[in-house]
Amino acid sequence: MSNIVQRNKSEKRFQFYGLLAVGLAIFLLLVLLLKIFSTGFSAFNQTYLGVKIQIEKGENLSELDARSTLRENLRNMFPEAKSRSDKKNLYSLFSPGAYIEFEEMLEAYDGDVIDGYYYFLASDDLDMYFKGTVTRQGNSAGRIKPSQMKFVDEFVKMNLIELQFNRYLLGSADSRNPEMAGILGAIYGSLFAILIAFVTSFPLGVLTAIYLEKLTKQNAFSDLIETNINNLAAVPSIVFGLLGLAIFLNFFELPRSASLVGGLTLGLMTLPTIVIASRSAIKSVPPSIEEASIGLGSSKVQTIFNFTLPLAMPGILTGTIIGIARAIGETAPLLMIGMVAFIVDIPQGPLDASTALPVQIFLWQDSPERAFVERTSAAIIVLLIFLFLLNITAVYLRKKLEKKW
Amino acid sequence: MSESLKIAVKNLNVFYGKKQALFDINLNIFSNEVTSLIGPSGCGKSTLIKCFNRMNDLVEICKYDGEVLIDGENINDTSTDPVSLRTRVGMVFQKPNPFPKSVYDNIAYGPKLHGMYKNKDDLDEIVVSSLQKAGLFNEVKDRLFEPGTGLSGGQQQRLCIARALAVNPEIILMDEPCSALDPIATAKIEELIEELKEKYTIVIVTHSMQQAARVSNRTAYMHMGELVETGLTKNIFSNPEHAKTQDYITGRIG
Repeated sequence: MSNIVQRNKSEKRFQFYGLLAVGLAIFLLLVLLLKIFSTGFSAFNQTYLGVKIQIEKGENLSELDARSTLRENLRNMFPEAKSRSDKKNLYSLFSPGAYIEFEEMLEAYDGDVIDGYYYFLASDDLDMYFKGTVTRQGNSAGRIKPSQMKFVDEFVKMNLIELQFNRYLLGSADSRNPEMAGILGAIYGSLFAILIAFVTSFPLGVLTAIYLEKLTKQNAFSDLIETNINNLAAVPSIVFGLLGLAIFLNFFELPRSASLVGGLTLGLMTLPTIVIASRSAIKSVPPSIEEASIGLGSSKVQTIFNFTLPLAMPGILTGTIIGIARAIGETAPLLMIGMVAFIVDIPQGPLDASTALPVQIFLWQDSPERAFVERTSAAIIVLLIFLFLLNITAVYLRKKLEKKW
Repeated sequence: MSESLKIAVKNLNVFYGKKQALFDINLNIFSNEVTSLIGPSGCGKSTLIKCFNRMNDLVEICKYDGEVLIDGENINDTSTDPVSLRTRVGMVFQKPNPFPKSVYDNIAYGPKLHGMYKNKDDLDEIVVSSLQKAGLFNEVKDRLFEPGTGLSGGQQQRLCIARALAVNPEIILMDEPCSALDPIATAKIEELIEELKEKYTIVIVTHSMQQAARVSNRTAYMHMGELVETGLTKNIFSNPEHAKTQDYITGRIG
């Protein structure tokens, strides 16, 4: 009698432990997500300053020097800024990107007279102050000096400072100026690398698994291969980076920092995962189906392609996507093959120098500017969204291929 | 009854690794008859039946010597292609194992594989006639394009028989085809075997003495990898020569 009570009690207690573990895991995950999102979310907006632009008729807009024209219009707004240092303080509230924006605006402008308020990209220091990341102490805030603060207050008073969508973050590559830095280059680099990793490791991995599982005899040689594949899966990723460096860069002399090399290296790293997942998926195909196929006079290869592979495909794909998802977040091997460089151009193909998303995060978190902190978190958000989409695809593919017969 | 020899087994020894599974088997199987193999578990019935279509080739550690002659041709010869042999010798397994495909595709798989039809109508006809031969057509004619695994156990087994018939074999091997079925489904399969022996040579492995007595013309009793006794079923069951056979069919061992 007391035995049953005790047993029920211990069952309840065990259930409670399980619930506690799940709850703790979810709580920690939520804290992490909350931290990342609360830090990174503001990076999707950017501070812009309004400037009254007046350009009279008769000037050829596309021939104007954007830099000096913008500065001239600024001086017109603040006639009190007379001294050289005052002017410099005023100008440096803007990002170098402001001149580029103005130039683009001039080129695209239809008409010959400009008169009105236009908004241009502010510097990262002002951005940090306006977003409240850096607090004001008297007349200074972070790197904004008192001599600049009077202009900032002026802009605020005139209601000429506002947040706009940050088109640089998702639309450009890296930059020394945080307000102009973006992750599009890194996204392209990651996409190229992942595509190449998939294209190389998937067929190789699946064929290896088929060979080991179905086509070879169990002997010392196949045991050796099997043990080594299992060991490879546990090799630290940076070692694969060294391997990529030795083979692809030093031996085959492929271009340094290229996402092609990154993809091949990540492919090598993913290969054992795919082989192991594929083997277990192939193993779990009911032998009775294969026997039926053989019994009807199919050859071994026909049986594999008609029954074994289609039935194993959901498992193979799940394993592959888990491997690829791990590869997307991998930094260390990419450091070894030079994908860690500061690259301001968006790569046009897998042979161009590029970075990858996790490497970009690594680079930014190392930068001294305050504005890179929120951009680091923003890049993490984008990376997480990528992984999330990839996992959704995995679930969808599995559901779709796993036809209930 | 025409007594033409279909399968002749001569001095067949089979080894799984170091363990010998069959010892010096000599057995004759005749056309258009049902031959049943009986004996206690592990006596080598299934191993023997798998020698007739070389399914044992799939087992890596399996080695064999001796001869298995089908129509006088030794199928253990290296010149025999096991893949084409298996179109001549169909097999039905212990557990119904329809492909994860529709009823239609289950039957059509073999003919498609071997290019045994000219056009779609041809294939349709093969499917329908195979299902009719297996006595399944009326039950599934409205469900041809539904999954074969959705049928009942007995229907699945008849589907497997129909699938084997579709490639037009000469011999059908059945490895305990009714062991996973209820008595009603079993009765249907037995009826079917009765009809099929008009056209095919059937070898059936069974654990049920009654079944062997009901369906087979000849019975072979095996014990510990040896063929103890073989003869007409009525003789084996009424008047066995060997004491072991007597013990087994009366239920004293097994």
